Amino acid sequence: MKTTPIYSNMRKITALGLLAGMLSVPALAQNKIEFKEFTLDNGLHVIMHQDNTTPIVVTSVLYHVGSKNENPERTGFAHFFEHLMFEGSENIERGQYMNIIQARGGTLNAYTSNDITYYYELLPSNELELALYMESERMLHSKVDQTGVETQREVVKEERRQRYENQPYGTILPETLKRAYVTHPYQWAPIGSMDHLNAATIEEFQQFYKDFYVPNNATLSIAGDLDYAQTEKWVRTYFSEIPKGQKLVYRPNVVEPKKTAETRDIIYDNIQIPAVIQAYNLPKKNHPDSYALSMLSTYLTGGNSSLMTKELVDKQQKALVVAAIPLELEDGGVFIMYGITNMGVEAKDLETEIDKLIKQVQDNGISDEDFAKLQNIMENNIVSGNSTMAGIAENLAEAHVMYGNANYINQVMDAYSKVTKADVQRVAKEYLDLTGRVVLYYLPKSAQPAE
Amino acid sequence: MKKITISFVLTLFMATFAMAQVDRSQFPNAGPAPQIKIGDAETFTLENGLKVFVVKNTKLPRVSFTLVLERDPILEGDKAGMSDFVGEMMTAGTTSRTKDQLDQEIDFIGASLSASATSMYASSLKKHQGKVLELMADVLYNPVFPEAELEKLKKQTLTGLAQSKDSPDAISQRLTSALVYGKNHPYGEVATEATINNVTVADVKQYYQTYFKPNIAYLAIVGDMDKAEAESIVKKHFGTWKKGQVPTATYPTPQRQAKNTVALVDRSSSVQTVIDIAQPLQMKIGDPDYITSRVLNEILGGGSSSRLFLNLREDKGYTYGAYSSISADKLTGSFSANASVRTEVTDSAVYEFMHEIVNLVDNGVTEDELVKAKSSLAGSFGRSLENPSTIANFALNTERYKLPKDYYATYLQKMNALTVADLNAAAKKMIDPSKLYVTVVGNGAEIKEKMAQFGEVVEYDNMGFVAKKIEMSDATLTADKVIANYITAIGGQEKASQIKSAKVSLSANVMGTALGLSFVYDDANGRFAQKTSVQGNVMQSSVIKNGEGSVSVQGQSMPMTPEQVAAGKLSSYLLPELYYGALSYTLTLDGIKDVDGTQAYKIIVKTPEGPSTINYYAVESGLKIKNEDANSGDTFYSDYQAENGVLIPRLYTIKSPMIPVPLEAKMESLEVNPTLTDADFN
Repeated sequence: MKTTPIYSNMRKITALGLLAGMLSVPALAQNKIEFKEFTLDNGLHVIMHQDNTTPIVVTSVLYHVGSKNENPERTGFAHFFEHLMFEGSENIERGQYMNIIQARGGTLNAYTSNDITYYYELLPSNELELALYMESERMLHSKVDQTGVETQREVVKEERRQRYENQPYGTILPETLKRAYVTHPYQWAPIGSMDHLNAATIEEFQQFYKDFYVPNNATLSIAGDLDYAQTEKWVRTYFSEIPKGQKLVYRPNVVEPKKTAETRDIIYDNIQIPAVIQAYNLPKKNHPDSYALSMLSTYLTGGNSSLMTKELVDKQQKALVVAAIPLELEDGGVFIMYGITNMGVEAKDLETEIDKLIKQVQDNGISDEDFAKLQNIMENNIVSGNSTMAGIAENLAEAHVMYGNANYINQVMDAYSKVTKADVQRVAKEYLDLTGRVVLYYLPKSAQPAE
Repeated sequence: MKKITISFVLTLFMATFAMAQVDRSQFPNAGPAPQIKIGDAETFTLENGLKVFVVKNTKLPRVSFTLVLERDPILEGDKAGMSDFVGEMMTAGTTSRTKDQLDQEIDFIGASLSASATSMYASSLKKHQGKVLELMADVLYNPVFPEAELEKLKKQTLTGLAQSKDSPDAISQRLTSALVYGKNHPYGEVATEATINNVTVADVKQYYQTYFKPNIAYLAIVGDMDKAEAESIVKKHFGTWKKGQVPTATYPTPQRQAKNTVALVDRSSSVQTVIDIAQPLQMKIGDPDYITSRVLNEILGGGSSSRLFLNLREDKGYTYGAYSSISADKLTGSFSANASVRTEVTDSAVYEFMHEIVNLVDNGVTEDELVKAKSSLAGSFGRSLENPSTIANFALNTERYKLPKDYYATYLQKMNALTVADLNAAAKKMIDPSKLYVTVVGNGAEIKEKMAQFGEVVEYDNMGFVAKKIEMSDATLTADKVIANYITAIGGQEKASQIKSAKVSLSANVMGTALGLSFVYDDANGRFAQKTSVQGNVMQSSVIKNGEGSVSVQGQSMPMTPEQVAAGKLSSYLLPELYYGALSYTLTLDGIKDVDGTQAYKIIVKTPEGPSTINYYAVESGLKIKNEDANSGDTFYSDYQAENGVLIPRLYTIKSPMIPVPLEAKMESLEVNPTLTDADFN
């Protein structure tokens, strides 16, 4: 059926700017996000942002627990808990968590990373009290029982199949992490091990809940059509009685040693076209170099006009796609670069070309025009970044937890303004270090007889 | 954690001590329903007829410009697919900017600019609005429509079309539209290779000159801009746009058929069946029943709390998701209920779909369902208002569908007034369970018979055309006889069985890269070796011997599983038909099919271990013309030439979803009964 696209969002990001000379370095400025925050006696930190434009409100809880907080013998727990936490509580019957939110006109979801677990619901603003009640039930006495564990085990198995095993190149992240970290618990991905989950007892699950789902390990972030005083009152009503965790929250205190040799491997997967993956260890997420690294990745593969896309996809046509993704993590993430080869191109051939371009940036840096373009793109991204209540709630919570300061949300543009052209070249040299990197080739598992 | 304490926090904190223990046994009640304020769009019209809406929103220093052309849908006939090229052709360069320059200038300011046959869209930060408007106006007034760009776009479209013929979802969508609206209707017509190839630059230009006129256009400006500023910039950039006469068109209204029928597309490699149960429905936005139809659909199949999802997924586990939709569009709408289900449960799933549809029409909805559906839809209506472009959309719809001015302002009021009786009446009026198209795309051999209970089964091809119905003239024909005929056709059992082994090499060219395929067949001893090389380097090879197999890719070797060996063996013989009996394969004759215009017997070859493959033997010549295999895709055999008195195909055309274009492999050499050593199979 034909439809008329009214708001086409097709973005065409292409080719280098010609007009650099005409534009002076832009004065980067972002709209200020106002907020209020307080901390309950039990340690729960609360951030509120008022915006009465639309009668909706987002309620979110960030638990500072991710796969890195797991016992190496029980990987996948944090993500498994995200599923379990929708099973209900002492006062919410099994399966009712989602139904009640939807029946009151809301929508909800959650995700788990190596560092955090994040839950949110988006409701009409007159349902804020309901949302706070629901999240407080989850924090106070969620249902962690055998039935829930059995049910969610099956669901997680299907998720695993769908997102990793059955997905071409789906195992890139777990395979990369496994090699990029020798000692740090980032070496396993949030999906973890099915064997570990099968082996775990109900008591272990209950203990994990007691250890990490405590107010002193959580940040409640609320944004939208709210009244500050009323919201705070409700927060105190529902969350004050939740007891503080009894022991210190476990955080791995492991420094991943700098690798002195390249790690190289071949992974056989259910794919037709080979891929090359390179991974370089990054500094901590809140390190000042993160901004220059983000600009570097945009320079390399951000859009059609980027260095590698233009050279390897358009001109040489050695790759179908190339992407550089700085996976920023609290204790230091990885800069993942991947390229999928074009028909008939060997992985090695593509890798050689990628390395040449990395060297080019390291040796020659980037041009003034390209630097101006990067600044414009960053500015556009940051300005557009806080356009929804859901986005603001999440960014505030992350600012508080990862940068120790919710007001960081207003300082991102300043941080980017400080990056110089020379910094982009410097971080390319410093972090895209060939000696300690991980290189993986993904090759077809069983190339069938070609007839 | 850093604490920022604010003085009034303390006061409140004291107050809570006095509060009684909170009652957690009840869900908190909703507060008074917030007033949903729907901002108004300001509007003005230029002398050339361009109507402008301005939705001012200063939250972010951004602004977007959306131009929409309101024309009657067009029937493109033998150039179906032409209008899909218009947008990209317009942004492919102007009289003063090449495509590269245009892209560069857009990119440099972090902006976006795109076009389609009926719209243009540009957005940027406020401070770049002058530049982005200049670029948008340049594309609107001065496109040059480069010939080379059309050639590139056509090639991409043809590749996409080829891929879509293998995609069950695309096949289902094409078939359902063709049935519901008819192929001679703008919503149902099908673009084919022929119609795409018919499109010329002149057609695109002609379209542009006919329809890009201000008197049928709306411009929506959303973001950091007020009406006064909008008036001045719109006059500047769009004031000189010349109006013109634009053709109108009317079409017959698609009618429902007299009774339920089943439309089946046989896709033998499918493990799932795509089911879509549909019928046309007169519905456009703003019709008296439109809001009722939203609620009705929400209850039947709008989401994960709906009846279809709860029944087919949560209760039966047939599918990952089952949904329904009631579409509303300018000419006509449709009702549809759909899911992808495991092949084995196809008939059970259709049964449940029919049950839910009949039950809805006969017994209606409950009060509880109505309340929840209203609440859920009201919530999503409220959330949609967070995006300021929703207001612009409302203003556009109000104009395009001639809605009352307060249509959206009173939308929720109207929805909340609906009763169970309203819903039940609407269900009866909108859905007729006795006049449905039940479309299924799946493994015909497995599902065809079972579908007969739902209506007469008509087979269609993967482009939505009725499959050429071919009766088997010889009712006594068996699979064994087809194979025997084939062996006779290639030269007879005696000569064929003299070919005990062979070395074969094929060459192909893929986008400028030379690909080599070499095979060593030792049919008599059940040995096989194969190598694929790219630009002369061996990339992949495999060997089957002594009932075992191994695969090696870029020098890394690994053994095959027994299942892989069984699957591999199916294609490890030069003349496999001679050995089907000895290998205990089961052969099934599945009628006569149309293979690119040639009638052929379809034979399903199944190994005792499970894997199977499908061969097609031409009715007339008896020769094997096609193989369908889950692993290697579709292979077409042609250019048969004799060797030792036996006909052997010299051209293989391989089509697979894994390769973007069909691969033509020519036989470069064929050595019959060569001396073979163990080294050939290492």
